[in-house]
Amino acid sequence: MPMNTRKLLHSLGALADLGAEISSTHDFEEVVQASLHTLLGTLAIRKGAISRYSSSPGQLKIIAARGLRDAVGSRVSLGKDEVDRLIKRPGPVDLAAERNGLAQFVQRNGESLKRLRAAAIVPMVARGELMGVIFLSEKFSGEDYDSEDLAIIATISRHIGVAIYNHRLLVSIRRRAEENRRLYRELRDTYQNTIRAFAAAIDLKDAYTKGHSDRVARYSEAIAREMGVEGQELEHISVAGYLHDIGKIVVDRAIINNPRPLTDREFKELNTHVVTGYEILSSINRPWNEIAYMTKCHHERVDGKGYPQGLRGDEIPLGARIVTVADSFDAMMTDRPYRSRLSLEAALEELKRNSGRQFDAGVVSAFCRLVMKEIAGDVPRVLTATSGRGYDKKLVVTTLNSMINAPGATSVGH
Amino acid sequence: MSTIEIRERLVGAAAVIYPGPYLNQLRGERIERRCLEMLHDGIRNLVINFEETELINSIGISLLLGVIEAVDESEGKVILTNLNSSNRELFEVLGILSRVEILGTEEGALASLVRNPTGCDQPDEGSHIPD
Repeated sequence: MPMNTRKLLHSLGALADLGAEISSTHDFEEVVQASLHTLLGTLAIRKGAISRYSSSPGQLKIIAARGLRDAVGSRVSLGKDEVDRLIKRPGPVDLAAERNGLAQFVQRNGESLKRLRAAAIVPMVARGELMGVIFLSEKFSGEDYDSEDLAIIATISRHIGVAIYNHRLLVSIRRRAEENRRLYRELRDTYQNTIRAFAAAIDLKDAYTKGHSDRVARYSEAIAREMGVEGQELEHISVAGYLHDIGKIVVDRAIINNPRPLTDREFKELNTHVVTGYEILSSINRPWNEIAYMTKCHHERVDGKGYPQGLRGDEIPLGARIVTVADSFDAMMTDRPYRSRLSLEAALEELKRNSGRQFDAGVVSAFCRLVMKEIAGDVPRVLTATSGRGYDKKLVVTTLNSMINAPGATSVGH
Repeated sequence: MSTIEIRERLVGAAAVIYPGPYLNQLRGERIERRCLEMLHDGIRNLVINFEETELINSIGISLLLGVIEAVDESEGKVILTNLNSSNRELFEVLGILSRVEILGTEEGALASLVRNPTGCDQPDEGSHIPD
């Protein structure tokens, strides 16, 4: 086989290997090191190094080296004019040649270039930007580089330059993605803290309901999860739990804290809080209109006797039906101006008595399953967290079983 | 974990390395690592037997040059043997033949090293470089 053909075949094989390496999933450092090996092995070059260019400060940092001890990490300075020269004439440069346009570069970096055994440098340019420079020693044979060698070096260097460019792009995208994730996490934290702050502000209107909105949110979320709700819908139900009483902000504090039975007029004013809450929240765009509607419907009853619209069954959003049970349960389990808190047994009896009338039987059933799991210690205590252990466990379990297995103890649906 | 093994055998103060059918990055790095260990252990003379080697890629060449340079720096000697015509042409076109001794057979290379001042003793049992 003619020698030129043999050399060409070897170079083509090297380009194929380089392409495979650059498109591999190997670490960037491994890719660069293998690329350097490929270049050196294509023309049997003794030593070499690959550097990356950084414009601030203008320098080349060695990121891979072959046959050069302690070269990786070392730096070579490169001025702006020199960068422009390398971009405009992006071929191999014989450092010993006169008028190569890099006399100052050679003079300034004499010691470094000597340590790198650099006889020639090759700029790596991609999309008009200098990615870095490859430093090459003499060939193993001691022969000078011929024009074919220089063409092969230029071709391989372009490929390595594109690989470095793509890596830089990938790093930049990853950095931006991580920054976006961090901003999103911060935004979510702010969002959740704002909702909690609102909930706390709502509860401050009533000395007896401190922490009520927070508990209703946690109860609602736990019941919804027990019913298989997940993702964004679960989050909306939780937020609706926090903000279900937001309309009370405009209700007279004297009415909210009135220890006596309310007059019709006072009831009427108190009951406006669901519509007021809806009006406050519905001014916020999706997905808040769904949350707003849940808060509006949390005093509806499945038998149609609730307010403000008298909706029935699955006309009431599932989230609202869940918040209704959570709201009522917490109200029963806490002291009020006009009565003391109920026992867990009494509260369960009340839920049982009103299941299918005030409350959705499916939601009540899910509520009971969850209480059962909490009593058994299968899940952390949420619904029973405020009831302590001062209840008749046998009676509670019997009541729960009868409620779980009651006819119609399935949800009327979303 | 790769199961690639590089065969070697020690012959007194010399070692014979068999790169196997394809001298690429994986095999080349193994050979280079093992050769550096041998140099560290005082073995200065290497015979690289390419009898089974059908293909050598550019990374394999680069790693082979690294081995030759390391042996040179240790003032030892490398002899390449049993090259097929294709690989011989490759070494020739890359100018490697002008700097490294090439002999037809492993036995000839070992005999040459015996005549050398850093020569070797009697052949030992064959062995393998583990993964």
